[in-house]
Amino acid sequence: MSLTPKNHHIGQSVRRKEDLRLITGKGRFSDDVNLPGQAYAAMLRSPHAHARIRSIDSRKALAIPGVIAVLTGTDLRADGIKHIPYNVFTLHPAEVQLENTDGTPPFVTPCYSMAIEKARYVGEVVAMVIAQTVDMAKDGAEQIEVDYEVLPAVTATRAAAEPDAPRLWDNAASNVCVDAEVGAKEATAAAFARAAHIARIETWIQRVTGVPMEPRAAVGEYDPATQRYTLHAGSGGSVRLKKDLALILDVAEEKVRVLMDDVGGNFGTRGMIYPEFALTPWAARRIGRPVKWTCERHEAFVSDFQGRDLAVTAELALDADGNFLAMRGSNIGNSGGHTGSFTPLQKGVEIMSSIYRMPCAHFRARSVVSNTVPTRPYRSSGRPEVMFVMERLIDIAARDFGFDRVALRHRNLLKSTELPYTNPFGMLYDSGDYHDAMDKSLTLGDWAGFAARKAEAKQRGKCRGIGMANYVDTATGAPRERAEVTVHPDGRVDVVLGTISNGQGHETSFAQLVTEWLGVPFDSVRLITGDTDIVQVGGGTHSGRSMRMGSVVIWNSAKEIIAKGTRIAARLLENDPSVIQFDNGRFKVQGATPSISLFEVAAAAQRLKDLPDDLRGPLAAFSDESFNEASFPYGCHVCEVEIDPALGTLEIVKYSAVDDVGRAVNPMIIHGQVHGGIAQGVGQALWEQCYYDPASGQPLTGSFIDYAMPRADNFPFFDAEFTEVPCTTHPLGMRPAGEGGTTPALGVVINAVVDALSEFGVKHIEMPATPERIWRAIHDSKNIV
Amino acid sequence: MYDFDYYKPASVAEAARLLAAGDSKLLAGGMSLIPSLKMRLNRYSALVDLGAVLDIKGIRRDGNFLVIGAMTPHAVVAASAEVRKILPAIASLAEGIGDPLVRNRGTMGGSMANADPAADYPSAILGLGATVVTHLRQIAGDDFFKGVFETALQAGEIIKEVHFPIPQKAAYTKYRQPASRFALVGVFVSKSADGVRVAVTGAAPSVFRFTAAEAALAKRFDPAALDGITIKPDDLNSDIHASAEYRAHCVVEITRRAVLAAQ
Repeated sequence: MSLTPKNHHIGQSVRRKEDLRLITGKGRFSDDVNLPGQAYAAMLRSPHAHARIRSIDSRKALAIPGVIAVLTGTDLRADGIKHIPYNVFTLHPAEVQLENTDGTPPFVTPCYSMAIEKARYVGEVVAMVIAQTVDMAKDGAEQIEVDYEVLPAVTATRAAAEPDAPRLWDNAASNVCVDAEVGAKEATAAAFARAAHIARIETWIQRVTGVPMEPRAAVGEYDPATQRYTLHAGSGGSVRLKKDLALILDVAEEKVRVLMDDVGGNFGTRGMIYPEFALTPWAARRIGRPVKWTCERHEAFVSDFQGRDLAVTAELALDADGNFLAMRGSNIGNSGGHTGSFTPLQKGVEIMSSIYRMPCAHFRARSVVSNTVPTRPYRSSGRPEVMFVMERLIDIAARDFGFDRVALRHRNLLKSTELPYTNPFGMLYDSGDYHDAMDKSLTLGDWAGFAARKAEAKQRGKCRGIGMANYVDTATGAPRERAEVTVHPDGRVDVVLGTISNGQGHETSFAQLVTEWLGVPFDSVRLITGDTDIVQVGGGTHSGRSMRMGSVVIWNSAKEIIAKGTRIAARLLENDPSVIQFDNGRFKVQGATPSISLFEVAAAAQRLKDLPDDLRGPLAAFSDESFNEASFPYGCHVCEVEIDPALGTLEIVKYSAVDDVGRAVNPMIIHGQVHGGIAQGVGQALWEQCYYDPASGQPLTGSFIDYAMPRADNFPFFDAEFTEVPCTTHPLGMRPAGEGGTTPALGVVINAVVDALSEFGVKHIEMPATPERIWRAIHDSKNIV
Repeated sequence: MYDFDYYKPASVAEAARLLAAGDSKLLAGGMSLIPSLKMRLNRYSALVDLGAVLDIKGIRRDGNFLVIGAMTPHAVVAASAEVRKILPAIASLAEGIGDPLVRNRGTMGGSMANADPAADYPSAILGLGATVVTHLRQIAGDDFFKGVFETALQAGEIIKEVHFPIPQKAAYTKYRQPASRFALVGVFVSKSADGVRVAVTGAAPSVFRFTAAEAALAKRFDPAALDGITIKPDDLNSDIHASAEYRAHCVVEITRRAVLAAQ
């Protein structure tokens, strides 16, 4: 990777133009927004995992000096505020849809922004206090008297699916909201019947949380003159937030404006609307002043949406030579107290077989509600979970039935000549060279030299293990995206786009595209996002869609600008458009020397009165497209660990990654994405978990004292490279790079850990692979021996 | 944070007088107190900040003792040439507390008075048989820590300094909890003319002496002397980070490593 770019074009590691602002504290995050006359909100949250709310007495709270109002679910309903309009499935045409086997619709909970009658998890908003200061609001919250009838709670995924589990919703037959089947049941059973070997795993991909560096915040406004609400809140996108907010507040979309500038992390868990985002504008209208709420970190641990939490039982059938015949099993996702999104379940189960040749498969897919914080798609939603299962199954099969891990993968990995390939669930993989990525990753990770390193480690009393994991990632997301590109005569190019940067460096990457295609200076490009009065259309940032879709609509706009500019330049250069060339930001007649710049053309477009209608005025173009095909990033990671058997402690000593990105816009930014993604995936494999007390449903990880985040000193320098096999479903060949780091990381780390422990006969370790779990695995095997 | 009055006296006597009034609390570095106030876990009528009481800040040698003032920040202890020379185990202990921000503000006296079950300094107090000097009396280190966030300090009693006997050999080894990076198990071992001391922090509700290990090491100050030595998990902490059984195993293993480090 070169850190000294030759220019600012596509493919160059251009330094991020936003970084100086961000690292010098000049970013503008949600909590930096302060409006004249604003009041402050504090949320009273349920201390119980499951409780009926008999009554709420606010009188003492209202007597606290500075307290302006106390609002409850009753007020919310009385004001006609609607429930949060969760779109529980992704309806993208490339995805497999989950339908209940009994033909009933899925059970979707009516989720209001405050608890109505019942609280279903610790942290659910029960009342909101508005006061002159944050401390006064907190004083008020402490004085609210809530009469709770505490009910039995269930938090564990498999337990919640049991028929006799404590029932969260009185109007549902059970806690199971979705019970679907995908694949071919009979063909799969037949394949298993003739299998020579069957590998099996029963596991739980534990619940974690997103932990964005910037905690959430919201400032709500209401203008009685225009009857318009404004929300300032960082999220994964502004347009969707506006639409959702309009539905909740029961007003027309034009009566809502959403604004956000810098957003300090999203990871999916911040991607959708939150209760507080509706409560603050509503409260602002009620009290006639702007209302601000800032989430504190300990509050985030019980109110930020959480991720993963998938219980899986899976089997892989092989013939005597090691060819995969079929796979089958059952996945149960945990939605938490409300059904916010079944997407992780859906996006996982449809690619259980990864990029291996799998003649048939059958899975049951269920989702349950439980007395836990609701879950949402979290970085690479659903895919790290199932890649973990597949890569563990392969290692288990290799070990139990005497195959070489690498050879078994090579035998079953799809060849590029077999693509496009429809997997047994119906997903169509477009293109790629999976074997090349795997071979490069094995080379980068020096798989061949591992035996010597293991022997050397043994001399130091350490158990060294190596693991590998292939992966595929399904990038779909909200299909529609729009760009508006305007060339201003004063030397600026504005790009309005419906995505939002959550730290990914959009200002830089998108400016590189414009520099490449319009030949304008890198610094002349201004990216405008995050204000719904300007940005009318766009799906936000998730599922690897920002660059994937943004590039196409910017490209289309750039082409149109050049076409228009060519006609204007023809007029200025007194020649026919067919002989006008556009090169490096300038128009000229072929073979001639005189040229005029794009900005001069933009000035002419505004100045000349006699241009045709479509050329007169600002030199601008827009593109509004829907993307109905998926993209499938893929790659292979190799990880090496050393374990101290006396304590079970572990060190990651080597981590190598090869990810295919189709076509790299900014290699440095891609590497940053991969590095962060790896850390997030390894965090789940080794440390992170949202623990709940099984009896009470109380969360036990309420701060960084107990929630173990990965830190820089937990990692070696990563050996990350990428390949560029053009994606055939993308006109520019690009594949997303934001989730690839995370997707294989769970599986590759656990495969390495289990390999390190193979001498003790250890066959599997659950996540997080804590030192105690590792020590116990060693200890138990010693007892057996 | 609830409202409170704030005082910053210049002497221990003045601090003691202010502390006697109402429901007041001493503020040393504030590394545990301030977060607990921000989360509204505690409420005091006044905070009495010891930051201007200069005579209980500093490091000196007094005969065969290293004397550290209660208000000495961890970073100062860690960087002290004197400490590094005569009792390097204390310097390395201080160097391993929290992060640079915590070490710059957090103090030894604050850590002791707070008596967090996973704090580092308590293991050195017990592990060296130090003496705690308050503005009223001297307290033997062995008698100072009483339980979870509990000490022998009376209401209004202020720690002035701690006298650490200088041992022949000593070391502190910490096995960090992955999230907080406090000690999951921390062991301070020392060998002196009076014998061997092994003090364990992080593993139980309060720091304690691992007497079986002390007896074995007294015979032979060598990791191998611990072979066969165990500790019952019954009284040890069990939480999401480690069960009592695993902590019991780690106590012996970390003791072994501390002894090796002290060689």
